[in-house]
Amino acid sequence: MDSRTLPETNNSTVSTRLSMKQLPAIRLSHVLLIVSFIALPVRGDVTAPSWNINGFGTLGVAHSDEDQADFTTGLLADEGAGYSDEWSLKVDSKVGVQLTANFASKFKAVLQVVSEQGHDGSFDPQIEWANVSYDITPELTVRIGRTVQPSFMTSEYRKVGYANPTVRPPAEVYNLVPVTNSDGIDVSYQSRFNEVTNTLHLLFGKKTTDLPDGFEMESDDSFTLANTLEWRDTTLFAAYSQTDLTVDVLTPFFNGFRAFGPEGEYIADRFDLDDTTVRIISLGGRYDPGTWFILGEWANNRSRSFVGEHRGWYLTGGVRIASLTPYLTFADQRAKGDLSHPGLPFPQAQPLNETLNLLLSQNTSDQSRIAVGARWDFAPSVALKVQYDRIDLRRGTRGVLSNTQPGFEGDEPVSVFSTTVDFVF
Amino acid sequence: MPLFLKKIIMTGLLSTLGNLVYAEVVVVVPNESPIQELTSLQLSDIYLGRLTQLPGGEPVRPIDQTEQTPAHGEFYQQYLGRTPAQIRSHWSRLIFTGRGQPPKAVRSNDDMARELSRNPNTIGYMAPEAVPDSLRILTIGS
Repeated sequence: MDSRTLPETNNSTVSTRLSMKQLPAIRLSHVLLIVSFIALPVRGDVTAPSWNINGFGTLGVAHSDEDQADFTTGLLADEGAGYSDEWSLKVDSKVGVQLTANFASKFKAVLQVVSEQGHDGSFDPQIEWANVSYDITPELTVRIGRTVQPSFMTSEYRKVGYANPTVRPPAEVYNLVPVTNSDGIDVSYQSRFNEVTNTLHLLFGKKTTDLPDGFEMESDDSFTLANTLEWRDTTLFAAYSQTDLTVDVLTPFFNGFRAFGPEGEYIADRFDLDDTTVRIISLGGRYDPGTWFILGEWANNRSRSFVGEHRGWYLTGGVRIASLTPYLTFADQRAKGDLSHPGLPFPQAQPLNETLNLLLSQNTSDQSRIAVGARWDFAPSVALKVQYDRIDLRRGTRGVLSNTQPGFEGDEPVSVFSTTVDFVF
Repeated sequence: MPLFLKKIIMTGLLSTLGNLVYAEVVVVVPNESPIQELTSLQLSDIYLGRLTQLPGGEPVRPIDQTEQTPAHGEFYQQYLGRTPAQIRSHWSRLIFTGRGQPPKAVRSNDDMARELSRNPNTIGYMAPEAVPDSLRILTIGS
């Protein structure tokens, strides 16, 4: 599920209501942070809190040869390379700053703000992490506030280009989740048996995400159970996530179907996103003995809505030759849902039927991708990456592309060339 | 082949070969440390932030040298088989998920010796000729 599923809207009218609406979502985290900063040091601990400021960023430019659609990175990105700009700086460029405070040895607070292209085209900073954590025992940690959902193996640091081998997280897997963080509680339990470190991670929360034109996407009762096992050079990952998703922009449209009586209600219930449970399973692994690495993930998302079911996977391998790391990625995403539906057999329902079919066809992303690239660690804490992607769209879908124009045909492979400079400080 | 390409390739080859010829670095602990020996996996887990206490329950705190020191690159290549860039990537993953900060880093062998003498539960590394009497060299098993 992503922005492509929503009817194309005029982004220029995003109102100031949006910034007002963001307030309640971040207030809890803010309050917790302020309380922790003020209250924790006086809890009988004599050591002064230690503060760390860290940051990361990417300066990138991407080119796509498909001029009737945009290649973007984030699900809710407004513009990208191709139709909007032949060469786009907006696809990969971002900057993040993090403040970490350690109070005593058990209390910690983290605030991370990331500025990247949002749904309205702006680079307004958004709060990615904002939580306080407490180590109940050395193994058991509870965090309250905003945390990133560990739906996939590298979800939590997917925006830190420097920490990842390729230019961007593979969309075939990472775009299967509409919401990437939540406000709530998160418990992790790290245990060690002999040489194996195992981390079990449990997360409950909710999140409201802004969409263009003042609409919102609500993700309620979000639940993620993830397990990471590390042994020598091997990492194994498995996760199950579910969330109840509501997208208010579609409510009037499906109410239109409901107005036609039981047949319309049947279609609305079958396809709408109104407190609809979306379930995601993912499995991943990495083997990195140092001079080379291989990593891959498989994921499946499912719901009884027009979003339907998708399966995605990717496999990336690379070799480290001094400061140079050439790599190769294979990736694939298949949609299991129908591309069209007959709708209601009434002439008055024709516009509704057409919109429904547009939703179905635009949501179905069916593609394979091959990417070759290289990372060059040319200076401390800075890496240059170049990557070429060839995307093969299938079943006439638009794959991961967005902003498709009337002239878009999708019958030719799309070539994307990207180069980025990733840094951490 | 253009000359500059040759130069780039040769520089790459030389730096690869350079990594194979280690200047030796030894792992050290304070004399009063409870640690008698470590396996290379334990050492690598300690420096990757995965192991914070030994099987006997004693806490262990790694001390690093800054990247500008010759010992830094040599230590990570020799004992962990990783380049400084790989180590920075590893810590980026922990820092930006709020899970940890890299070990405290000192600027020289002398600073390392001073830092280790303050806390018996620390561990560090340095050039063998720089090890003072207050520290003992640790055997790293396979």
